[in-house]
Amino acid sequence: MTDPALQCEPYRVTALDPEVASQLAEDLPPEVFRRIIATFEDDLGRLTRELQQAAAAGDITQYMRAAHSLAGAAAAVGARRLEAEARIAMDPGQPEAPSTVLPRLSAESAAALQELHILAGA
Amino acid sequence: MSEPRGRILLVEDTPTQAEVAKALLADLGHEVRHAATGADGLAQAMEWQPDAVLVDLQLPDFSGFDLMRKLRAEGAEAALIVITANGSVNAAVEAMREGAMDFIVKPYGKARLKVTLDNALEKRALKAELVAVKNQLHRGRFFGFVGASPPMQAVYKTIESVAPSRANVFITGESGTGKELAAEAIHKASPRAKGPFVALNCAAIPKDLLESEIFGHVKGAFTGATDNRAGAAKQAEGGTLFLDEIGEMPLEMQVKLLRFLQTGSFQPVGATRPEKADVRIVSATNRDPLAEVEAGRFREDLYYRLYVVPVELPPLRERGEDVLLIARHFLASFGREEGRRFRGFSREAEAAIARYPWPGNVRQLQNAMRNVVVLHDGDVVEATMLPPALLHAARRSAPTPATEPSSPPQLLAVPEPQPAPLPEATPLPAPMAPPAIEPLAVMEKRMILAALDQTGQDVPRAAALLEVNPSTIYRKLAAWRS
Repeated sequence: MTDPALQCEPYRVTALDPEVASQLAEDLPPEVFRRIIATFEDDLGRLTRELQQAAAAGDITQYMRAAHSLAGAAAAVGARRLEAEARIAMDPGQPEAPSTVLPRLSAESAAALQELHILAGA
Repeated sequence: MSEPRGRILLVEDTPTQAEVAKALLADLGHEVRHAATGADGLAQAMEWQPDAVLVDLQLPDFSGFDLMRKLRAEGAEAALIVITANGSVNAAVEAMREGAMDFIVKPYGKARLKVTLDNALEKRALKAELVAVKNQLHRGRFFGFVGASPPMQAVYKTIESVAPSRANVFITGESGTGKELAAEAIHKASPRAKGPFVALNCAAIPKDLLESEIFGHVKGAFTGATDNRAGAAKQAEGGTLFLDEIGEMPLEMQVKLLRFLQTGSFQPVGATRPEKADVRIVSATNRDPLAEVEAGRFREDLYYRLYVVPVELPPLRERGEDVLLIARHFLASFGREEGRRFRGFSREAEAAIARYPWPGNVRQLQNAMRNVVVLHDGDVVEATMLPPALLHAARRSAPTPATEPSSPPQLLAVPEPQPAPLPEATPLPAPMAPPAIEPLAVMEKRMILAALDQTGQDVPRAAALLEVNPSTIYRKLAAWRS
């Protein structure tokens, strides 16, 4: 039975998939879960920079590769909205320019991190 | 701390995904190592030999499928599990086609990872067990034996089955087939392995001394018994007593052995009290034991006491490829001893060895290889280096091109070491000169050695040819050695 304190509130914690994020928080010791969040935070910083640099350089291959990694990292911790945005960015047929997508990615990254920290502190 | 459940190598380039997977794997009790590139994954897999490799399909240097192909090419035996974000049937089919045992769709939880790994590790363990069983079925060595032929596999299996029990074992087989080796194998594979293994050749001991050799004697029991002496039965206490050539045992001695088998006690020659010994008896003969019983030379009651589990050693001529395995083994072993360079046999030499019927079995082959190593040197043993008897036999049994045209020519062209071939029309032999007179002892030695040569060093058969007792030959051999 999942500890109610570790459950993602479906209306309040909407950036995370409760089946993934809450399960990780339940399955793993708190310090391990916090270490995963720290790694995710590092990934977000690095991959966001790579996306911005690739967009600025017009390097579509590097841009899609970074977006793919970001989608994978987000999926691993259940950051479902961020993952969805990253998958839009890695889609070669996507109609939106990086200048539109990147701010949304940054916002979703911040939201996912904030909710993960809440989950880890619960 | 409990033993880790499995050694898992994770090949994943995204740090967050790697961190989650490592945490889950460690939480499941596995020992985990991580590689962030395909090249590092390949290197670690070959060096660490994990039980399973979790492979991400998109790696920075090459694809997960490429990594799996490289791992298989390098002979890695780990279970390969693909981690993919694509959960389609096509992706699964492709993963399996590339050699994956299973695949996991990202993101995955602890429960899914556990089921996948448990299944993979169990399958891998079963596969390893199967390989071990297959290897055991085709093993080329067993204690002192060399040989992988089906008849020898049956012998190994019988020895393994009977060794742990207390049952008496009766080994039959032609001379030189390895009866003493089989007895030693039974001893070494048995719970008595730490006890002594005492071998006694009943044919080598004069009849009137056999009782004393087996049961010992007390001081003054007979002329020359200057002290108490423990016999083989006592020396083998807690171990195994191997009675070779038991068919040569006199009938009156057979009664005493039967009593020992029934009661576990015996009376040393000249002693007034019986003694006990805990001994397992393994006996052997190169004769047909039942025929010996029917002929009245072997007691029926003793036969049934000893013939509990029979082990029949096949003659070398029925062991197929074993003859070459054994020949190579002896060549390497004697080569080391004698400081020779030999690395193998020429095809002609192998053909000659394989064709020869080896009436003296492994012992004769051993002597032939010793002869080759002592008398010759080189990288390869050529057919001309083999004892002439082998080449004569090979020539006699080699089919002619007309009757068997598919035979490889090198088998037919076994070189004849003799000076010159006889012309087709062999002239009548010249009248024989009277034989040179030699000392009788020299003549006797020559005849005994010739008989031994002819029988492949089989002493009882040589003795039968010379119409003497085998013990006579053993005594002579011992005297010449000293």
